[in-house]
Amino acid sequence: MKKLVLLRRISQALFLGLFVYILWSTTYPLGGGISPRILFNLDPALMIFTAVSERLLLPGLVFAFLMIGATFILGRFFCGWVCPLGTVIDAFGSLRKKNARDLSWLNNRRLKNIKYVFLGIFFLLAVAGFQAVWVMDPVVTAARVVSLNVIPAVTFAADRGFVWLIQRFGLYGGFYDFYRGLKAGVLGVRIVFFANALITFIYFLVIGFLSLVVARLWCRALCPLGALYSLVALFSRLERKVDACNGCGLCRRNCRMGAIREEGDYDKGECVLCMDCVYDCPTGKTRFAFKGAAVPALAAPAAGSKGMTRRSFLWLMASSFLSLGGRWAPAARRRVIRPPGAVEEAGFLNTCVRCGNCMKVCVTNGLQPVMLESGWQGLWTPRLVPEIGYCEYNCTLCGQVCPTGAIPRLSREAKKQVRMGLARVDRSLCLAWAHNEPCIVCEEHCPVADKAIKLDIVRVHGRDVSRPVVDRALCIGCGICQNKCPVSPERAIRVEAFVP
Amino acid sequence: MEKFLYNLETFLKTQMNRKGFLKVCCAVLLAFITGNQLLKAAFAKSEDSSGRPKKGLKGLHDIVAVKGGDPYQNTVKAVEQMGGIGRFVKKGDVVVVKPNMAWDRTPRQAANTDPMVVAALVELCYKAGAKRVNVFDIPCNEDRPVYEHSGIAAAAKEKGAFVYFADHWNVVKAKFSYNSSMEGWPVLRDAVVCDTFINVPVLKHHGYTKLTLSMKNLMGVCSGKRGLIHLDIGTKLVDMTDFINPDLTVIDATRVLLRNGPSGGNESDVQAFNTVIAATDPTLADVYACSLVKIDPAEIPYLKAAMARGVGRSDLTQADVLEVQA
Repeated sequence: MKKLVLLRRISQALFLGLFVYILWSTTYPLGGGISPRILFNLDPALMIFTAVSERLLLPGLVFAFLMIGATFILGRFFCGWVCPLGTVIDAFGSLRKKNARDLSWLNNRRLKNIKYVFLGIFFLLAVAGFQAVWVMDPVVTAARVVSLNVIPAVTFAADRGFVWLIQRFGLYGGFYDFYRGLKAGVLGVRIVFFANALITFIYFLVIGFLSLVVARLWCRALCPLGALYSLVALFSRLERKVDACNGCGLCRRNCRMGAIREEGDYDKGECVLCMDCVYDCPTGKTRFAFKGAAVPALAAPAAGSKGMTRRSFLWLMASSFLSLGGRWAPAARRRVIRPPGAVEEAGFLNTCVRCGNCMKVCVTNGLQPVMLESGWQGLWTPRLVPEIGYCEYNCTLCGQVCPTGAIPRLSREAKKQVRMGLARVDRSLCLAWAHNEPCIVCEEHCPVADKAIKLDIVRVHGRDVSRPVVDRALCIGCGICQNKCPVSPERAIRVEAFVP
Repeated sequence: MEKFLYNLETFLKTQMNRKGFLKVCCAVLLAFITGNQLLKAAFAKSEDSSGRPKKGLKGLHDIVAVKGGDPYQNTVKAVEQMGGIGRFVKKGDVVVVKPNMAWDRTPRQAANTDPMVVAALVELCYKAGAKRVNVFDIPCNEDRPVYEHSGIAAAAKEKGAFVYFADHWNVVKAKFSYNSSMEGWPVLRDAVVCDTFINVPVLKHHGYTKLTLSMKNLMGVCSGKRGLIHLDIGTKLVDMTDFINPDLTVIDATRVLLRNGPSGGNESDVQAFNTVIAATDPTLADVYACSLVKIDPAEIPYLKAAMARGVGRSDLTQADVLEVQA
């Protein structure tokens, strides 16, 4: 009975379930009970690098340091017991042949050092004024897949299934009511689509399949969060202790992180406390226990990882040198419509961690991931696509779920004043301008109380035609006019990013 | 990696014989056919419908307008003066109460029907023995915030109504016996397949049609690209009214948005009229509502079209109008 392994699996399943639940409930009334911000506030790599790159003191840092504190005590428990991506990678890994040998030509030690290079690069970039850890951070990677791929696919399939059943068998009674109840509920069937979401999924698949090559290859070789935790875990209180070793090497061969050396010695920073070795040991004398008070806290890591301390010293030197030089932050041009209240473009690219919360929560599905429309640094940042959905006038949800304040939390009244873009009437397409047809669907939908779309009433061929004219002073660029414009394929009124 | 490369190489080097090739082809073809059939079944075509039958129900009066401080009591009184809800709702009926629930606005901003008017009607229907009262609309803003902020969902649910979001797949195709530009338009199935349809619009300003009234409110049961209804709106809305045939029209003129309609937003644009109008003839109801805000019905495209085609009555002087104080 592998009690500890079972416990770990339960913990992994629970946290993965919780992760999906929180993201699933990141939808209109936000009635999930747990703020989706917390998922990313608990990620020190994201929070610290964002704070450093923007020279900001983010309130969420408290949670990040809490996790670091916990790692000082327990080691890399996050990677082995909590991390949603780690859990999925483990699931992928279970597809792997049990006796598949790890690569002999790739030195295990070299493999695990790669991630420190990534961590170093991301840290240096942050010091220089660029937050780029979103590229590889495991929590946002998992969140993007869940929010942009899994939930849309599952809800779409469920919805189609229900619709098919209802229409095919004429179940317009209680069954239809049940479906409506589901749809209306917090965890309801709500169909959303995200442009180019396949790319996030492919990225995720690559990460997953990496673990078929070498167990947990992502975690041991690439993950920057894992690298950060492993640096902290060197000092952890919880340790692996081998009371008796017969040198069989079973634990070393089976270790998913490649953390175990000869003679029961192990690499503390690599251990994710998966507890496999406790049960692999034929002598049954392997255990995890807290350090005795007598052992000096710093003695063990100094002996165990000489190379690492030198490396981190070098990084520190380099980074402090750069920080003296200040921050290189060129002004970025805003080329896409950002969510309401989004900070200026360069700062937005830094503070946005690409977690996908705003897109998931957007009530009209109008917030979509950007590919390269806002430059290569803008990948997966949110943009409003009025063609798909407009910005709901009274809605402030995206600001409420943003973990780093890239989209500030605004009161309803403040949000209504925020300008995202500017609408322009295309007079060569507009029914009223080009064809003298009365239409004014745009004016009708304009949510600004005094109407940002005014009507020019002109007498043409003996009848009055109301032609829409945008009031630049009032237009907030919510995009509802473009969304509802009946002219197709190109809308006769279009919203473009507001550049002050 | 070695293993992976080895497997890859083995796979690529495996020779395929004719039988194997044919097998693969057949499997792919079969998968395509079944997939296609499944998709076809999943995206089923909607059935045709020629609309609700004309019941020709009449009240005791042509129009009842009740003025008073409480919209709930006004509604109850108006229906009572029409001869009671029993004239329109029979035991075991499925009733649709269709409010104007289009905008993400609060009741005080008067862009939607007053929740109390809807609640009163729902309660009356259940008292008359209705099996089920459905309350829905296709809003112009996003449905979830609209249902919540308009206050209608909560008020109607409290009285036991089924309040749900309209499904755009659950539609019928409108068929007309005459030539109509609404031919084939997707209309919510639930609005057509019901025993009683009570139209509960709100009287308010509209930038294009001058006023939003009962006929305009029927745009709320139309799916599809509704912006196109605005082209030749008069004819289209009269056709829609003819298609739906509301049995009873209750116009909420409790708080009337007089400017910047139909979405409004300024409470200063709102004036309290504290009136609820009940009528069986939608045209007549709309014409009477026009007289409240002193607008010539001929200026309103759909009333102009209705008058030109002789749909419903439009002469208030000939009508039996009862005005009461609650």
